[in-house]
Amino acid sequence: MKKLITLIILIATPYGAIADQNADRAMHQADVFVDGSAIDVDPDQIKQFTADLQGGQVAVVSVMGMVCDFCARGIEKTFKRDKSVAKVDVDLSKGKVLIAFDTEEPIDRAEIDRKILANGQNVTAVQMLNI
Amino acid sequence: MDQQRRLDIDVNPPKIPPVGIRMIFSILCLLSPALAARPVSYSGGSTIMALSDRAKHSLYYHYSPTYKYSVGVEAVKNRHNGDEHSYLRLTYLLDRKNTQDSQRNLYLQSGVDPVDLDHYFYGVHGDWETRRLFSGFGYRHVVDDETDFEEQFVQFGIAPYLGDYGDLHAWIMIKSKKNTLFGSWSTYPVFRLFKGNGFAEFGYSDRSQWDVHLMYRF
Repeated sequence: MKKLITLIILIATPYGAIADQNADRAMHQADVFVDGSAIDVDPDQIKQFTADLQGGQVAVVSVMGMVCDFCARGIEKTFKRDKSVAKVDVDLSKGKVLIAFDTEEPIDRAEIDRKILANGQNVTAVQMLNI
Repeated sequence: MDQQRRLDIDVNPPKIPPVGIRMIFSILCLLSPALAARPVSYSGGSTIMALSDRAKHSLYYHYSPTYKYSVGVEAVKNRHNGDEHSYLRLTYLLDRKNTQDSQRNLYLQSGVDPVDLDHYFYGVHGDWETRRLFSGFGYRHVVDDETDFEEQFVQFGIAPYLGDYGDLHAWIMIKSKKNTLFGSWSTYPVFRLFKGNGFAEFGYSDRSQWDVHLMYRF
């Protein structure tokens, strides 16, 4: 009987953890919507990031290969050379780069891809948030 | 009106005299079939690093026109025989694999002393890392006037905590190193720290003595 209980716990725990994680993620995603779609980014971080912005847009870029702070430095420096970029932040845990543009004009997704690639990483998705 | 606004960032790196690049490439390609060294920076990025261990003291500057390769100069003092050399160096990113949680790299490296063309090196360097784990290895064959030698290392590490962007990041590592001038392998603990653009790594063992690596990117 003890073995059976142990087995059930062993099997159930990972599922429970995954379910909790998904619920947590869904709750976070529900906090921010852009063009009808949810953004998987820490709501506290994006609130803090956008707090001092006066209009413009924020690109939430999903990046592969951004595994360390050192790797992300180049991304920040590259985008900060753009005069229309107000600020840049990085969420290492989710592999996201937040880029604030102080313009209402459409942002070229391909240009974002190219700049991330120039730093040796790959873009998997870009979502735009209007401030 | 063009709906697709072009971002006005200039990601093209500062211009390097093409003649200089051609010369460096020509020399290195002629002298070594394999090229290589420590991480290439981001496009347009520069790195300065200092390294000191039982075998040498070194000061190295490199510039990365693209994330695929870097060119640089390195001043080395060989602690075994007291010789001093300045190398022109090329590091080439042979392969990189990015995933959501990891990155794997394989670099080729080479260097040649333009004053003494009989003195050069070539080798390979690889690493795989996640935010929590690191592993790396390196091999270098140094051709010297008197004695050729080889340097090899393997290194494994774990991050005791996962810091956010901008935090101080720390790694606890173990490194095994062999230089054929000194004989057998030596294994010792290494402590790595980095924050922002600065990086420092310290290791020590009775046999290898201090192994210090400092780096700054700009």
